[in-house]
Amino acid sequence: MSLIIKDLKARVKDGAQILNGVSLEIPKGEVHAIMGPNGSGKSTLSKVLCGHPAYEVISGTAELDGQNLFAMSADERSRAGLFLAFQYPVEVPGVSNANFLRAALQARLPEGEELDAVQFYKTLRSTMAKLGMDTKFTSRAVNEGFSGGEKKRNDVLQMMMLNPTYAILDETDSGLDVDALRIVSDGVNAMRAPYRSFMIITHYKRLLDYIRPDVVHVLHRGRIVRTAGYEIVDEIEQKGFDFLKIEE
Amino acid sequence: MNISESLNLEAAFAQAEADAQIRRALEQNAQRFAAAQLPNRYNEDWRFGKPAQFAEELAEMLAAREPVQAAIRIESGDGVHAERISPRDEDLKETLQLMPTIGSDYFLGLHVERFGTGCCIMLEPGAVVENPIVITYEVGAGLYTPSTFIMAGAGAKARIIEKHICRDGAAIFCARSIQLAEGADIAVELHESGAGVSKAFNITNIQSLGGHIRHLTMHNGHAWAREETVAEIAEADARGEIRLYSANKLSGRSVLDQHTKQVHHTGGAFSDLLYKNVVDDQATAIFAGNIYVAPAAHDTDAYQANRNMLLSEKAGIHSLPGLEILADRVKCSHGSASSPMDEEQLFYLTSRGVARRQAQLLVAEGFLSDVVNHFKQVDGAKELDMSSGN
Repeated sequence: MSLIIKDLKARVKDGAQILNGVSLEIPKGEVHAIMGPNGSGKSTLSKVLCGHPAYEVISGTAELDGQNLFAMSADERSRAGLFLAFQYPVEVPGVSNANFLRAALQARLPEGEELDAVQFYKTLRSTMAKLGMDTKFTSRAVNEGFSGGEKKRNDVLQMMMLNPTYAILDETDSGLDVDALRIVSDGVNAMRAPYRSFMIITHYKRLLDYIRPDVVHVLHRGRIVRTAGYEIVDEIEQKGFDFLKIEE
Repeated sequence: MNISESLNLEAAFAQAEADAQIRRALEQNAQRFAAAQLPNRYNEDWRFGKPAQFAEELAEMLAAREPVQAAIRIESGDGVHAERISPRDEDLKETLQLMPTIGSDYFLGLHVERFGTGCCIMLEPGAVVENPIVITYEVGAGLYTPSTFIMAGAGAKARIIEKHICRDGAAIFCARSIQLAEGADIAVELHESGAGVSKAFNITNIQSLGGHIRHLTMHNGHAWAREETVAEIAEADARGEIRLYSANKLSGRSVLDQHTKQVHHTGGAFSDLLYKNVVDDQATAIFAGNIYVAPAAHDTDAYQANRNMLLSEKAGIHSLPGLEILADRVKCSHGSASSPMDEEQLFYLTSRGVARRQAQLLVAEGFLSDVVNHFKQVDGAKELDMSSGN
């Protein structure tokens, strides 16, 4: 059981092609890191996989445990087990975090079945405590007026509540201070399991020191140009992405 | 003649002069009503959507005098304060006759002719009403023309909820006068519920003589509704404060036609307006607002914002915020924004498994709840004051 992407080409709707044939496989239970210079297509890859309407697939396939991801709407992909922690989480004025999460969890239940509200709030509060979040955030509008770090933490809260089988973290470390990074990483590490995979997009070694990846992919100009173990992270940290120019 | 007699005479002269002024105003208003014409689409205040067509329908209903099935319910947790009015309440009738309109003198004249039903809330100076006063006008058939009068004495505090419920095919045309003495602090909610082809028309006049008011209207379900709200700051140096809010979700082919005037006759006062609409299907929302600051009304703070969210390509918005500032030293702003629902917000919600339609409802409710939260936040402060006995 894996997330399998084959020769994926995608572009901004009516705009430039960003992904030029991405292929990779993330088996269940593994953590894969995606690194690459700015503009290499990392965020585009995450959004295309999750069904962002601003992008369109030109060709290629993506399968989630054998299901054709591109045949599903964004909400169906989520309910199938895919999750994206956004690089820039969106503010949704007037919609409280609690109501949003309730709606998201309710959507996962069979028709006619009601979410147990008492259990929901119990789980929500205990999960927030793990992430060091104040419970007042339950009644605040989704990400509205949150600092950058609070938004990232809120995304990780959603991930922990929704319990996905494939989680993509798009630069979750940006905007987090050292303490917040450790708390968020602890939360992610606690979720590592044989039935769950992570795709972690980042520029920096710092996050990968906390969440140690099994495999590291380097994305450049919309293609995976190198796949290696953790050792490449040190190489990138020391030398930057200059080696990509040599390989061009 | 001693001093006491002299003062009595002065008071008598002042009273006589005031009475004469009211008589002259009433005579002028009688002429105003006689001269008023049925609005049509060439009237600036009736030109958008199809309100002129509805004006004709309303005029027909007023002329037809069909049998009306209607009921008034008054609930006041604290007992007194609210009572039904009768056709013999001449003072209240005169209050109606003197009310300003925004292009609807013709209709107000017809409403005055039908005067005699509705509710009057009289809050004595210093009265603090802990539980909300709830007035419900329910109409099952025909056109119902009640009047609501709210008079808050100095320092009075209360929350008033006015509900208008119209059954299919029925209509309500309500004239509302709200007067606030210095230091009064009241919150008024108007909930309009309609069904099918029901219609609603409200002409509201708020006069603050140094009092504070938060006024919220919410429309749901009418085929068409029109609101005219003239909010006036009338007393110098009394720090009057008027906050007008409205939150509405329109669908089908419904039309909501809202007109407002924030009138600052004197300086040093504050008014704010936030009207929001979510417009779906082929519905139309019309907003025309004006802030008027009189030449002597320096140090006025007045703001106005109209925000609209479109859920359909066939939904319509006409928004005309306006300023008319004749004083030199003021802080005023007005603004309007209409746009489709933000796709990034929708994607964020759907990426968590919420179906698109449900996500749209959440975003729309969130958009409108902002208005209600503004209203409640200020109201919450008032509740704090009340609980501490201030």
